[in-house]
This record gives sequence, C-alpha cells and structure tokens, in this order.
Amino acid sequence: MKMIEVDSLTVKYGDLCAVDGVSFNVAEQEIFGIVGPNGAGKTSTVECIEGLRRAHSGRVRVVGLDPWRERRALYGVIGAQLQDTAYQDRVRVGELCKLFSSLYRNPASYEELLEIMQLGDRRRALVSTLSGGQRQRLSIVLALLPNPRVVFLDELTTGLDPRARHQMWDLMLQLRERGLTIVLVSHYMDEVEAVCDRVAIMDRGRILVDGSVGDVVGRFDLLTEISFYAGLMQSGELAGLAGVQSVERQRNRIIVRGRSDEAVGAVLQYLGQNSVAYSGLVVKQPGLEEVFLELAGYRLSEASSTAAGERGR
Amino acid sequence: MDLRIALKLTVLEGKLFLRNYINVFFLLLFPSLILLLFGGMFGNEPAAIFGGYGTVDVSVPAYAGMIISVTGLMCLPLTLSEYREKKILKRFRATPLSPHYVIIAQIGVNLLMTVVGMLLLFITARIVFDLHFMGDFLPVVAVFLFSTLGIFSLGFLIAAVAPNMMAATAIAYLVYFPMLFLTGATIPIEMMPETMQKIAAVLPVTHVVKAMKAVWLGESIASVSSSLLLLAGIMVVCFFLSFKLFRWE
Repeated sequence: MKMIEVDSLTVKYGDLCAVDGVSFNVAEQEIFGIVGPNGAGKTSTVECIEGLRRAHSGRVRVVGLDPWRERRALYGVIGAQLQDTAYQDRVRVGELCKLFSSLYRNPASYEELLEIMQLGDRRRALVSTLSGGQRQRLSIVLALLPNPRVVFLDELTTGLDPRARHQMWDLMLQLRERGLTIVLVSHYMDEVEAVCDRVAIMDRGRILVDGSVGDVVGRFDLLTEISFYAGLMQSGELAGLAGVQSVERQRNRIIVRGRSDEAVGAVLQYLGQNSVAYSGLVVKQPGLEEVFLELAGYRLSEASSTAAGERGR
Repeated sequence: MDLRIALKLTVLEGKLFLRNYINVFFLLLFPSLILLLFGGMFGNEPAAIFGGYGTVDVSVPAYAGMIISVTGLMCLPLTLSEYREKKILKRFRATPLSPHYVIIAQIGVNLLMTVVGMLLLFITARIVFDLHFMGDFLPVVAVFLFSTLGIFSLGFLIAAVAPNMMAATAIAYLVYFPMLFLTGATIPIEMMPETMQKIAAVLPVTHVVKAMKAVWLGESIASVSSSLLLLAGIMVVCFFLSFKLFRWE
C-alpha cells in the first residue's frame, strides 16, 4: 500500500524554484531516505508532505489525505520531527510531553514513550539541560504521541556523536518493526545505507536518482578499490591484470581500482603467486557515498566550466 | 476555539514566564523598588509640583506605564520572536493546534502579569505609604486595560517587523528605554523642562501615564479623551500592520 504519493511536486519561493517536478511514492513500513547537498530542496519537499508548506503545483497524498487541505486529519496520522527545532527555555520534559499529549484525541502514553527513548528518568529535567541526543529523542517522543502511521525525521542525527547516531539508527529500525513508515532526510550516506530501504538523491530541486540502495549504486559504473601496504613491490605489473583499470601509489600504499569481483580475484591471485609481502589489505565496494561524489563531481565540473567561460569573456 | 487547550497552554506559558527571573524582577519588583526610592525621598505629602497631590499618589498610576512597557514592549515581542526563531511556532503548526493559540496564550499571560505587577505596586504603596485613591474603580480598570492593549499592539508590531531575535531585542530596547524615562512612567514628567515635555507628547506611554493619572485622581474619562483616542489610533494601526507583516517562520 502507498502511504505517500508525490506527483510532479513544485515549490517556488518567489522566482526561485526550490523543488522542480519531484515524484516518488513511499510504501507502508518502508524507510525512505532523501539525501542531497544543502539547498537541494529536501526540506521543502518534506514540508509539503507534512502540510507545512503549500505546493506551487503537483499532487501530494499522505495516507490518502491532501496535506494542505486536510491538515487537521493529517496531524492525527503523521508525526514530525522538524529540522533544528528548539523548545521553550525553562520548560520541563514532562510539561512539554503533557502539553503535546493534550493536543491529540487518542495520544500514546508519553510515559511509555519516554521509557522507550530512555528518557524516563529525565521527566523533571529542563529541556535546555538535555544533551543533543536526548533532545532528539524527545523530539521523537513528541512526533510519536499521535500514534502516527508515518513519521518524518529531518536531519535527526546532525550534530550527534557517533554512539548517539547508531542508537538513532537502531531506534528507526525498531519503529519500523512496530509498523511505522519513516521518511528520513539526511546528509549522511552511511546513515541512509544503514537504515533506508529506498533512497532518492536530490540536487537543485530535482531527484537525480532513486531506488533501493543496491539499485542506485548498481546504476553507476563505479570501481572497487583494493589497497594494501607493500613498500618493496614493483606495482607496474598490476595494471595488466584482468579487470584492473588503474594503479596508484601513495607512499607505501598501493591502490588498485577496477571492476568488482574480477579485479579483486586477479589482484589476490597475483599477490599470492608472486609471494608479495603485503599487509593491511582493504577492499572497498562502491556505495552511496561514491555515487554522491560522482554526481557532485559532475556538478562541480559543470560549475567550474561555466565559471571559466565567464572569466574568458 | 478549544478553551481547555488555550487554558493549558496559558498556564504553562505563565509558569515559564515566572521562571524567567529578569521578567520577575523588572515587572514585579522594580516598580515597587522605584516607588520606595521616590516615596522615601519625597514622602506622600501634598506637593505643589504635582498640583497639590502627594508624590506617591501621583506615582502609582504613572508607574502603570512602566509596568505595561515591560510586558508589552519587552516580554511580548521578545518571546514571540524567540518562538519564531527557535521554530516553536512552526512545531505547533505541525500539530492539530493552530499556532494562533500560542499568541492568545501570550496575550493572556502578559495581560495577567501586567495586572499582577500593578496589584503588587498598589499593595506596596498602600502598606508603606498612605496611598490615596480618588477615582472610581471602573474607569481606572477600563483605562488600564485599554492602555495595556494599546502598548501590546506596539509589541506585536516589533515582533512582526523584526526578522530575528537580535533585531527584536535591539528594537525593543530602543523603544522601551525612552518610553520608560521620557514619558513620566518613572521620572515625573512635571520635573522635566518644557522641550522634553513636548518630545514626550509623541510617545504613546506618555498618554498612558496621563490618562491613568487623570482617572486615578478622580477626573472623568472624557477629560483625557484625546490621549485615549491617540492610543486607539496606535492600536488600530499597529494591530493592522502586525497582522499584515507577521510571519510564522
């Protein structure tokens, strides 16, 4: 079942087109990631789905509801954690939860949610004294109060330490187990790879590529990187091996790039047969990060050629 | 409108207001301290400069201007622009609650605190000095509430035009201090030279002070109709502009 349908969504701020004809669907119990650089239109897109922003054109449905026209009904079925929201100074965790609970007809028990989010002992604490991770968990508690079917998490882990980020990832997977659909806006490719079923990479208001993480990576002709320390080795011969595209030497480390399985096999075989003394061998499969850099590189070269053109005039 | 939620929000915002010691000091303690200072210096005997009235009897209604300025020109605009900058208003938009309730709660809390501040001042003056009240209850309450709304409208305009908290704070201070010291709300206007009194006449709080003093000392509302009309004009213009210019984010 489709929980979210977005068809040719366009958002304009004056003359600026922030979102330019974006379409995608999100299925029930899916974790859908939207990634892209700052100003790509991620938040504008999500805010249209959350009923916070009016679309210039296009069609959006969330659990069958029009987010702009049926806002009241919408906020009974979705929960939102907004990008860098703070709360009132001097408000206590319990007070804030109680207030938000009173806004919904059949709210979930905030005591229970605080326990799940490991905030049970912080009910009397001032929100301003919480750590970054605790504050984000509180935002999730508030987002879950309406017993939503879809939650939106916008840059949930930005600014959190690595341990807190990993906690958040586990939490998202737990929430999905409980039947929730999650839309995640993120800067981090490792985060998207860790939790998302499907991903859309956005830039300058458009979706450049979308699909499952494996699909998206597979669509780009990216090379696997095999690297190891072998200070005494003559690296020249490696270039002739099957599947190998390039060989590079960075001081004592040799970096071989090539087609995935073929090149890895050939390099390992070569090292074994010639009794090369090597250590610290790493095989790095291309991931979203590489896809993103590939897309960004394309964009940068395009930008610099324009700049050069302007200088030439 | 859901009164239950409006009330809950107002009670919570009231608690937050009182947890801010700056608010508590300037609204609830400062006016009484200033009264103790001036009252201590001049007593409450009839004074020629105040047209035969006592210093305290003239100061208490005048300090209404001081109290209303704290809530209307500082607390209200600074809280609203803080809530906008911190995206609290936006967060409320993502709930079934209309963010208008946040504004209603702010008006409620600040109005209530203004009344409490005035009552505390009244009690201090009554206990420490022999305060006389020569007016009628209803006109005084009416002029007080009307003045409060008039100054609140200015506060809303500050919140509406200031793009962020820094700007709101700067504008609020720029408006607040002249209103506090040049209008008779703290230093009696009778003690100022004539040119300063002329300057004071263009400041809205001057008219709050003038009207409050008049009805407190037993004059009719009609005798200060020009001041009240001016406040009404300010209210209409400021509320209209705030309504046009206010942004939720």
